[in-house]
Amino acid sequence: MTIRTEPIAIGGVRARPRQPFSLPMWLDRESVFSWLMMALPLMFLAALVGYPFFYGILLSLENRPVAQPGTFVGLQNFVTDFHDPVFWRVAFNTFVYTGAATLLKMVGGLGLALAMNQAFRMKNLVRALLLLPFIVPTVLSTVAWLWMLDPAFSVVNRLLIGLGMPKPGPSWLGNPVLAMVSIIAINTWRGLPFYGITLLAGLQTVPPELYEAATIDGAGGWQRFRYVTLPLLKPIILIVTLFSVIFTFADFQLVYVLTHGGPQNATHLFATYAFDIGMGAGQLGLGASVALMMLPALALLIVALTLYMRRSA
Amino acid sequence: MSGRSRRDFLKVAVAGAGAAALMPSGGRAAGKTITVLHESSFIPPFDEYIKTTLAQQYEKETGIRIVYEVTAVGSLPTRIATITETGSGADVTMNGLLQVIQFGDKYVDVTDLCKEIGEKSGGWYDAGREAVVLDGKWKAVPFCNIGQLMNWRTDWFKEVGVTKFPDTWEELYEAGKKLKAKDHPFGFELGHGFGDNHGWLYPLLWSYGGAEVDKDGKTVVIDSDETARAVDFARKFFKDTMLEDCLGWTDVSNNKAWMSEQISCTNNAESILWFAKKEFPDIAKVTDQAMNPQGPKGRFHMMGAISHSIFNFSPVKEEATAFMRWLMDPKQLGGWYAVADSYYQPTLHAYDNAPMWDVEPRNKPYRDAMSTAHLPGWPAPASRRMAESVAKYVVVDMFAKACAGTSTKDVIKTAEAQLKQIYQA
Repeated sequence: MTIRTEPIAIGGVRARPRQPFSLPMWLDRESVFSWLMMALPLMFLAALVGYPFFYGILLSLENRPVAQPGTFVGLQNFVTDFHDPVFWRVAFNTFVYTGAATLLKMVGGLGLALAMNQAFRMKNLVRALLLLPFIVPTVLSTVAWLWMLDPAFSVVNRLLIGLGMPKPGPSWLGNPVLAMVSIIAINTWRGLPFYGITLLAGLQTVPPELYEAATIDGAGGWQRFRYVTLPLLKPIILIVTLFSVIFTFADFQLVYVLTHGGPQNATHLFATYAFDIGMGAGQLGLGASVALMMLPALALLIVALTLYMRRSA
Repeated sequence: MSGRSRRDFLKVAVAGAGAAALMPSGGRAAGKTITVLHESSFIPPFDEYIKTTLAQQYEKETGIRIVYEVTAVGSLPTRIATITETGSGADVTMNGLLQVIQFGDKYVDVTDLCKEIGEKSGGWYDAGREAVVLDGKWKAVPFCNIGQLMNWRTDWFKEVGVTKFPDTWEELYEAGKKLKAKDHPFGFELGHGFGDNHGWLYPLLWSYGGAEVDKDGKTVVIDSDETARAVDFARKFFKDTMLEDCLGWTDVSNNKAWMSEQISCTNNAESILWFAKKEFPDIAKVTDQAMNPQGPKGRFHMMGAISHSIFNFSPVKEEATAFMRWLMDPKQLGGWYAVADSYYQPTLHAYDNAPMWDVEPRNKPYRDAMSTAHLPGWPAPASRRMAESVAKYVVVDMFAKACAGTSTKDVIKTAEAQLKQIYQA
């Protein structure tokens, strides 16, 4: 930065003749400068989010086999989806998966944050280690889970059989219900640190005086949590939940690696089903229509969640 | 990592990047280049052979450089889709089962070339033709089949008095019941993998006389007594011979179960024996392979076709056609097949008695199975609709749901509704 040596002109004090146009000064104007700063991210967003999004909408209105020109078919793809029994199964799966995993992550993450907020030895190390499931690439950790859930030689079933369960133990990925339970559990395991660490950051911003005041007023541990911690954390819970819902709803990697939507479509989600139709079957239009069906559902969920959190806040 | 090694790493990285920047890209300046896209082979010497032997030989003979680009297993369809959508990236590509159907419009018609090759090398197998002919035109040069056959443990089958692989599904079922009682269950994939599920379920359906669609490629015929019998058989076959986990299996699962000695019979490509010979010689000794059992209406196999196509937007179409002619000549092709033992089963009759079959006699059933191998939509010709049915696992899930306990009538009804939507849209 350079130090200004000239006196600073104060606008509006004296009427001055209009200055000739100068690029540096024009760039210095706030309205110009702010747009300049915004231009790059805007272009970035338009190219990487906007274009694919609108192209996706266009595709969903076309009969567009891969490597062939598309023909406009209006809403025909969506009609096909609504008559497809697997589509409804996929919708059901996605809601169950997102609902259960988000709830578990929210409760678990809050518990984790509260525990981590206590003072204990090697606090920072433990906090860092907690992030591990979040840091390891999903595909890698999911392959590890694939081994852990193997009925014959996995930790999980070894343990259960050791505890007296009859051999060969539950088939985690072969049974439709257990397969759903498994993907929810793994998603929760993976997403918990994100919740935990973010809520911990929120907890640390709560002023200690409030707790002191509450204690003086005779509030117990539960009441301090209920009337001090929770209301102050609500905005952060809202943000984290929004993120989590979006990521979970559109999850792909975990299911693709673990079950590929099986057994019998019991774990197929919107993203995996859309991929199978678009890339596997080469029906880009139909695949795009399945993927787009995430949009209204997600939008509704987000609006409802925001309204609820606002009202109760 | 110490500071010194970090510095060394940086030096190497910078030097490498510099060298890469200085090198002529693509080599097009020096002469013509043909880029061949291939999925990474399960048999490493296979990729090595074309890269180090064939490509160099071709460059010496013609001055044309062959760039053999390897893509990861499973990523081939996405790569081809990108290339066809953008019109650049490769000149020749390998195809798996469904790619000829999906991308045929972007491939050069190679009918004449294929006729020429067929005449020179003893004629094509029907299955080879079935996989590449669209509307009467050859859109790819068939390369081989990767068959899906029965893998069985000779030692455990012997324990229940079976020394020759059962000839019918019912006989196999009887053997399986006894083996499961001895804690040696069967393991056939019923989940959402790519190959090992379709590999035995379509042949099972056909061997009972069922099919998903008629010859016209439009009339859905899945709802038949024949299908019902196949489904009923699959249900008891699963219940009395297999592990519950098979319902959730993907393609790696049965290989894993085989090497950990959990299962006594499965349906897989040659890779189980190949891998066992390399890593688990004791298991390899008691592993044998056989053709699929027959049902009331015959014996069938799944075609795991592999072929090569030339993109019609390639600037070196003629050169690529000439290269394919050269590559498919027995002088070149024979050697390429041979480095992979018989993992890639030739679709040309000239190789029926080639020495490659004597390297491992246990692989011979893969050769014999080819005359009864078909694409999933058989008896209908190859079509995009067939690809959609496969990608939606319609037939696999029909069987899997029955195995998990749904009634035969219901699973067929669901499959019929799905197939009608696909074939009659």
